[in-house]
Amino acid sequence: MQRIFWRLALAGTFICLVIPALPSRAQAQNDAVKAYAANCAICHSANGSGDASAGKALKAKDLRSPEVQKISDADISDVITKGKGQMPAFGSKLSADTIKSMVAYVRKLPKK
Amino acid sequence: MQNSRIGFAARTNFLIKFLIKALGAIAAIALLVVLTEPKARAVPSYSRQTGLSCATCHFAPPELTPFGRKFKLDGYTFATKPTVKDAAKDHKSGLELLEAFPLSVLFDTSFTATQKPQPGTQNGNLEFPQAASLFLAGSWGSHVGSFLQVTYDSQGDHFTWDNTDIRYADNSRHLFGKPVTYGITLNNNPTVEDLWNSTPAWGFPFVSNNVAPTPSAAALVNGSLAQDVAGLGGYGMWNDHLYLAATIYRTEHIGGPQPNPGTGFPFNIRGVAPYWRAAWQASTENNNLEVGTYGMHMKSSPNAIMGLTDGYTDWAFDFQYDRTIPQFKNDVLSIRGTYIRENSALEATFDGGGASQSRHHLNTVQGNAEYHFGTRISGTVGFFDITGTADPLLFARGTAITGSANGSPASSGYIFNLSWWPQQNINLSYQYTGYLRFNGASTNYDGAGRNAAANNSNYLLARFVF
Repeated sequence: MQRIFWRLALAGTFICLVIPALPSRAQAQNDAVKAYAANCAICHSANGSGDASAGKALKAKDLRSPEVQKISDADISDVITKGKGQMPAFGSKLSADTIKSMVAYVRKLPKK
Repeated sequence: MQNSRIGFAARTNFLIKFLIKALGAIAAIALLVVLTEPKARAVPSYSRQTGLSCATCHFAPPELTPFGRKFKLDGYTFATKPTVKDAAKDHKSGLELLEAFPLSVLFDTSFTATQKPQPGTQNGNLEFPQAASLFLAGSWGSHVGSFLQVTYDSQGDHFTWDNTDIRYADNSRHLFGKPVTYGITLNNNPTVEDLWNSTPAWGFPFVSNNVAPTPSAAALVNGSLAQDVAGLGGYGMWNDHLYLAATIYRTEHIGGPQPNPGTGFPFNIRGVAPYWRAAWQASTENNNLEVGTYGMHMKSSPNAIMGLTDGYTDWAFDFQYDRTIPQFKNDVLSIRGTYIRENSALEATFDGGGASQSRHHLNTVQGNAEYHFGTRISGTVGFFDITGTADPLLFARGTAITGSANGSPASSGYIFNLSWWPQQNINLSYQYTGYLRFNGASTNYDGAGRNAAANNSNYLLARFVF
């Protein structure tokens, strides 16, 4: 039994060391990706779909959908800045440049 | 006999009057709170950090919604409020610090009465406070955050370290083309890092009194090591479905001397004690289901740091189902359960004369169903059942109230809880705990004439968090 636990502990340590070495989109791309991962992915998912459990529960929009993609840059920027519905406002945390780059990132999400 | 009847009647009258007064006082406080509802919502530090209401993360505190689970998984770092920032580049490290210090306060005051008084003590106890806590709960940086609690215990008249979970998290990775969030946790209570309310640290009952007697037997992973260990572990959630976690614990006796001599403490971990967790979750817009397993293995020397050891292995299974009901204004029905099997080889305890045999087992079953009327009211019905190896030395005979006449750890009962949140950060609760069996029997369980039902308790709580 003790051997099994030590093996489990070793496997866990290995996983913890290996996962950080996995390809990170945040490292490979720009600040917008980092900002998206830190602020948007919690509801809208990493791929913009909003299909993770938190997004489903809060009925987060699918950012790839025609419904969102047809909204103008200015309006998307406005939603990020001021918030809308259950979405909180990020205007006091994110700079105008970061919000602008995030709008561009939303435009680049794979279309649905 | 006549005198005893008169005495009982007098005590009952006193108890009823006390209950009525306490209810009246709490109702008056509640009315005052409702009538003088402040303009600004008094909300804890996570809420201040995220700009989101308590109800975004909690069906009812501490029960986590899917968003609350994700917030915890991400290391308590999600924020929408201003931060002090400095970008990391070249040889320069970065900084992302909340402008608002993430401090919160909890104040509990309560009233507890058992069906029969504990001999030599008063019945109907008002605690003001029952407990008061300070929390350092929030983001410490872009990837590090905490749930850190220090609690004033009115019975000990001191502050002590309470549940703590400090974690690093990264949610920007992918594995097999699917998103993976992984992290590292430093905590002091097995299952405190968990995301669901079916495991012990955050399981039902979510509030409880500290006056009424409780069953003697409890599995290791069911709170026996809470705040008495320190652990470092890792966790990961793959594709929002598969959650894996593992932590190794060492003894850390709060208030004990350093280095640890082991004396005076029932558990002193030899080497490390591994804890593991695996869970699968699936969700739709209105349904969230989790099934999982968790457990722990520990070698421990009671009152010593060397010599013979007691070995414990806990295997547990749990499930949780939350159903949002759009037809009823998004009320939520939650059903949760867990089963814990503990196998133990108590070589050290047996050698020291504290057990009549080495091999023991303990089975624990807990289940509950809760209906949330919006975010204002919730009603919960729960049951629990503990069975295991009888041992007249381990579960001591001859001790009134806490003892067991037949040496059996068997206890079972039910809990009814009704909670009202006039505001999301104020909780007024009534809880009734009833025992069908206590420490091995329903009647005369302690050999001193006390019945299990004598420990049935009425508990009123007012909790303020801000």
